[in-house]
Amino acid sequence: MNIQEIAKKEHEEKLKLASEDRQYYADKMKEFGLKPMDRFLKYLPNPSTNMKKGITFAHKDFEIITKAMANKEPWAVVSGLNPSGPLHFGHKQVFDELLWMQQQGADVYIPITNDESYVVDKAKSLAESRRIAYEQVIPSIIAMGFNPKKTHIFVDSDYLDIYNVAMDVSKKTTLNKAFKIFGFNQTEKEENPGTMFYRSAVQIAQILLPQYPEFGGPKPVVVPVGIDQHPYIVLSRDVALKKSFIPPAELVMRFLPGLKGPGTKMSASVVGSSIYLTDSIEVAKQKIEKAYTGGSVSAEFQRKHGGVPEICPIFLLLKYHFLNKEQSDKLYLEYKGGKILNRELKERAFEYVSKYLKKHQTEMKKAKRKIDKFILKKEIKSILRE
Amino acid sequence: MILKELLSQKGLIMQSPKTEEIKKGVEFIKEPIKIFYGETYDEYGNTLDSMKYYFFVDNIAQSLKQEGYETDPIIMVADIAACRNVSPHLHKKYMDLGQERVKFIEKIKKIYNLNLRIIKMSDYIEKKEFQEKIKKVEDICKKDPSLMKMVEKTVPESKIELERKKGFAYSFDEITTILNLNIKIGPPRENLYDNIAREIAKREKSKPLISIYLTPAFPLGVDYDFFIAHEGIEEHGITAYKAGSKRLQSFRIIIGKTTKVEAKKLIEKSFLSANPKLPNPVLDVGIISEMARKRLEGEDTPITLYDNFYNGRISPKKLKESIYNSLCTNILNKLQ
Repeated sequence: MNIQEIAKKEHEEKLKLASEDRQYYADKMKEFGLKPMDRFLKYLPNPSTNMKKGITFAHKDFEIITKAMANKEPWAVVSGLNPSGPLHFGHKQVFDELLWMQQQGADVYIPITNDESYVVDKAKSLAESRRIAYEQVIPSIIAMGFNPKKTHIFVDSDYLDIYNVAMDVSKKTTLNKAFKIFGFNQTEKEENPGTMFYRSAVQIAQILLPQYPEFGGPKPVVVPVGIDQHPYIVLSRDVALKKSFIPPAELVMRFLPGLKGPGTKMSASVVGSSIYLTDSIEVAKQKIEKAYTGGSVSAEFQRKHGGVPEICPIFLLLKYHFLNKEQSDKLYLEYKGGKILNRELKERAFEYVSKYLKKHQTEMKKAKRKIDKFILKKEIKSILRE
Repeated sequence: MILKELLSQKGLIMQSPKTEEIKKGVEFIKEPIKIFYGETYDEYGNTLDSMKYYFFVDNIAQSLKQEGYETDPIIMVADIAACRNVSPHLHKKYMDLGQERVKFIEKIKKIYNLNLRIIKMSDYIEKKEFQEKIKKVEDICKKDPSLMKMVEKTVPESKIELERKKGFAYSFDEITTILNLNIKIGPPRENLYDNIAREIAKREKSKPLISIYLTPAFPLGVDYDFFIAHEGIEEHGITAYKAGSKRLQSFRIIIGKTTKVEAKKLIEKSFLSANPKLPNPVLDVGIISEMARKRLEGEDTPITLYDNFYNGRISPKKLKESIYNSLCTNILNKLQ
């Protein structure tokens, strides 16, 4: 095959991947009974940038949140993360949404699930994941500009009350239900019991925590998730009803693919798949240069037939983090139309990324001194009272 | 106001045939052109939203008159239809409410100097002529599955079995009532009945009904969250003439019941967007109040409020203030 033939084949494969990606999300939305965000985009006075760009693209019951927003009633958002490494741009998109929610009145709860990191073998020890949480993850979150009065961060292994809450919620479900929702085949059977306890009890406890009396009782809560995390919401909604809480709403986001291309995630376990918010400028540059793109091996072919922005991690990095809707739409057309080639796209991405990293890392240094203001210390005594 | 100007008023007209089509549709009619608006009611009172239709029926009659046509503007109070929706022990109460609605329209007619003929459904429904007509309409529809499907569509899905048992009496009353009219004014959802009437007219080789739909009514005092949660509300809104439509009677201006203080609160708390594609209940109050003012002052010009707001000549805050003042001056003070 000559280069043009290779380029043609590659282009067709990329188009197919883009089409499969679209179909995957459409099918999942249907399967899970999720609704699109159209009405929120129409009516919200100030929808989030992620909503405008279609990154936050579906929901379940988000109406309960807009009702609380419009009536200035208390509401909360819960979004946890696994401290198996520093934050990367895949995490940042969720925190951008959380920041928007805080600006709209939400109390933000961020469980740092170092227990999960440990039980699923993403961290060598609880101590290691705890260290990463305090040294890298929490300062990075704070550096993004959260308001300490409305942000409640806790590291699971340090906030032991979460396990009392986990015991409390576990009484409202069954292993049978948990197996049905999360699956329990041979792979799961080989896992340690902690994984199932984490998924079916601790995770649900984190989601329902803001509705406990210590935090003001039942209130609308939303959880931003990737579409594969829908089962957690199903279980937590079920438990919420049994506890006379409000079933949590779900906001579904498309996740930034890893730099290795479609189907990959930004993950600490895959070398070179993520740009960490702690990466040096030089490392970030190398990662961008080596990244997969939606373009072609042949510049001539790409000029003629265009790229496939839908599956290009570099285009998506720009879209998700640095461009507004109009800029992103413009770049999409330029890349799709072959007016912008991979080199230029990567140069643009590097320019934005390097500026962001410099600023973020400076803020992180300052943030380390503020950690205590953000850590949740409230004791949960209501479940211990007779 | 010439017909073209009347039908071009943004924020008031939802859908209308072109002036030429209307003129063509009414040419060679020897009798005065029947311009019709019919409404039911409920126990919660007379809505401000109904007034939009009373004013408009009079407006279009005047415009056609200026064009040289004889007109017969009719407001029909569907007392029998209103009774069909309530249990039998409430029939007497609802017939009395129908009489009250007639009195209310008479009052509007007098204060705003409207030339309207007010009729009640009970005045004609039992007459032999109408009963024969209903029978004929039922026969035509029952023989044609496509027409029966259209009749079924006039009923909400949740009530279809109940209505089937009643033989779709409400729908057939409505279709028969509008069958030999010339121009019908109504909210957009009435196209379900109007289309059947046009289909029947086509089969009977008679002049088809001309429909003009005014913008739907929306609740006041609710914010964006209400509209987000009510999918599809943009299309049909709430029933203009039934104050308790969708149990939102506390979010409507009910003439004689809603105080000025309550009206002010409702307007202030209402959703107001600069996007003309979204519902604008505040502007609607403004347009009705403006129609009232024009009637009181004898001014025969188009409404400009829609353009003034959406072109940014008036701020949302100012719009709410001025609309409240206009509502008080031109409607509430006159009717309370």
